[in-house]
Amino acid sequence: MSRTRAILLVARRELLERGRSRAFVLSLLLSVAIIGIGVILPSLIGKTAPQHLGIVGTPQAGIDTAIQSTATAVDLTIAIEPVADLATAESRLREGSLDAALVVPPDGSVPTYLVKSRGNALLQQVAAAAFTPAPQVLFRELEPADPGKDTAFLFANVGVVLLFISIFTFGTWVLTGVVEEKQSRVVEVVLSTIESRDLLIGKVLGIGILGIVQLLLMVSVGLSVGTATGRFTLPATTPSAVGNLFLWFVLGYAFYSTALGVLGALASRMEEASNAASPVSLLATAAYLFSLFVAVNDPSGTAARIATFVPPVSPMVVPLRAALGSIEPWEVVGAVVVMVVAIWVLFNVGGRVYSGAVLQSGGRVRLRDAWRSSGGG
Amino acid sequence: MPRDGDAGTAVPPVGFEAMLEIHDLSKRYGSVVALDGATFTVRPGRLVGFLGPNGAGKTTTMRCIFNLARPDSGTITWQGQGIDRQRRLRFGYMPEQRGLYPRMKVAEQLSYFAQQHGLPAKDAKAAAIRWLEGLGLADRATAKLETLSHGNQQRVQLGAALVHDPELLVLDEPFSGLDPLGSETMATILRERAAAGVGVVFSSHQLDLVEDLCEDVVIINRGRIAAAGPIDELRAASARRHLEIEVEGNGNAWLAGRADLTPLESRGDLARLLVPADVDLAGVLAAASAAGPVRRFAFQPPTLSELFMEIVRA
Repeated sequence: MSRTRAILLVARRELLERGRSRAFVLSLLLSVAIIGIGVILPSLIGKTAPQHLGIVGTPQAGIDTAIQSTATAVDLTIAIEPVADLATAESRLREGSLDAALVVPPDGSVPTYLVKSRGNALLQQVAAAAFTPAPQVLFRELEPADPGKDTAFLFANVGVVLLFISIFTFGTWVLTGVVEEKQSRVVEVVLSTIESRDLLIGKVLGIGILGIVQLLLMVSVGLSVGTATGRFTLPATTPSAVGNLFLWFVLGYAFYSTALGVLGALASRMEEASNAASPVSLLATAAYLFSLFVAVNDPSGTAARIATFVPPVSPMVVPLRAALGSIEPWEVVGAVVVMVVAIWVLFNVGGRVYSGAVLQSGGRVRLRDAWRSSGGG
Repeated sequence: MPRDGDAGTAVPPVGFEAMLEIHDLSKRYGSVVALDGATFTVRPGRLVGFLGPNGAGKTTTMRCIFNLARPDSGTITWQGQGIDRQRRLRFGYMPEQRGLYPRMKVAEQLSYFAQQHGLPAKDAKAAAIRWLEGLGLADRATAKLETLSHGNQQRVQLGAALVHDPELLVLDEPFSGLDPLGSETMATILRERAAAGVGVVFSSHQLDLVEDLCEDVVIINRGRIAAAGPIDELRAASARRHLEIEVEGNGNAWLAGRADLTPLESRGDLARLLVPADVDLAGVLAAASAAGPVRRFAFQPPTLSELFMEIVRA
């Protein structure tokens, strides 16, 4: 029997056993719920939170009352306050303490409705409706919004979160799967028929397919809910952003799940598993935080450029930069090459540790002992 | 199912007696010597008991057969050829530390192991059902393993070793933890497998059971083979004999003057003695007869259990 068939049999077992498990069904439902809420929630919040409207100059008497009564009618809460001058209004808009400002010139000419960018369309309508006859209000943005760019930013952020959740959820399944086999001792029966490395490959493969299924579901739910509710229109970069998401899920998952599987072999009981996995968990979390808080603000900066070629970080940084349109094609190719090499090295080094550790029972196995006991094999 | 060449045929090539040959196997774990030049063979159709005190090297030897441990030196061959993965797939193994997938259904589990041993999916499924029927577990086929009783889990474990009809069966302590009924089922299956031409080797500490069940034994001590061969021959080859003598009404007083006849056990008129195999039996009988009427006079080679103690304590 070929090794390939042995690997596929392992993968098939993982796929069937885990795919039918309550844990996977729960994980699917939860991920769809998170994505749905994540896409819909911001627009719900936008309607209910009080809107701060500043007024520069002296508008016609009774405008406050007019605005408030319209606002009540459309179920919008507006806090109106006078603002000294245009410069103050602009700086307060930029810092975010005002959502919009109405600038009423003293000469009675057309007032201007001023926002930082885009802003709440409902608020704009309410403010404009207070002036009669309408339409009598100019619209000005301090920082004209690029709807494509906003969506790209959203995709970049959501993409990193999705990658982190997916890679870590399914990587952890590989970890617990390895520990379960070791703890239940079934691994000795299994390894009397197949090579230990093939068992690890099959496990990573089978669980990875479940991961792709879940990611596929999350992406399609997110995109369809987002477009259906009018939260965003798909920018031209969508196919490449989605493509990058899947490519880097595969690479990132292969890297992290292998590392977690190897560390799982060092533990002998489930209680030790998370402890054994902590170096990798910390690394993944650091990569995640770096992407979400550093790289996203300066996707073309030196830090992001270097991180592109650092394997534990690149699975999150590269798709982020790609979604923001600030990565060169050669960087993507280079990052993929570095990542593939890293996975290969990790698999060869880790595979040996796994082989040496997975049959040793009784307490935590030390990395060095595992390496030695599988000597060259 | 592609199998490599004709090495897989049940009929051994001419000139070879199909067998497992373990030659000069050595293995150290750090400073601990697990195996120190162990050599023995297992012939097909024979039940071989693999005996030895704890830590003598039984499990390490079995693990070496399945490449779960790598010997530092020595060779293991099957039908005269080295054992690669393809060959190993036709062996069945039951490790000392029992273990299966707790949450997997029983029939699917056996079918999975049959497929890992190279059976096509359809045959694997049929074999799983057949073995579950044979083990009296047909009604539990779709139950998860963890819901079965301990005894039934043991049966499934045996099923996992047998489901692909192996040519060689290696079982580490198959009788440990079994109740008398379970032991009887296990013994019946092992006998039946050996009768079907399978080489069967198993380790055990239940020496009386091994004596009843096996034709051959291999006794390992401190990593070396201390004795190997048919049980009857090993017993006959012993330099000592057990002698039981009962002289009515004498209370074993007649033994008082015999320094060469020290009883192991003396109870009433009955004495159990350990004597050299070439003892002057006629002389002993004459002395006993002179003391009173001899009601019992039994001269026997040591039992397997006694032989084992002699060897291990030597």
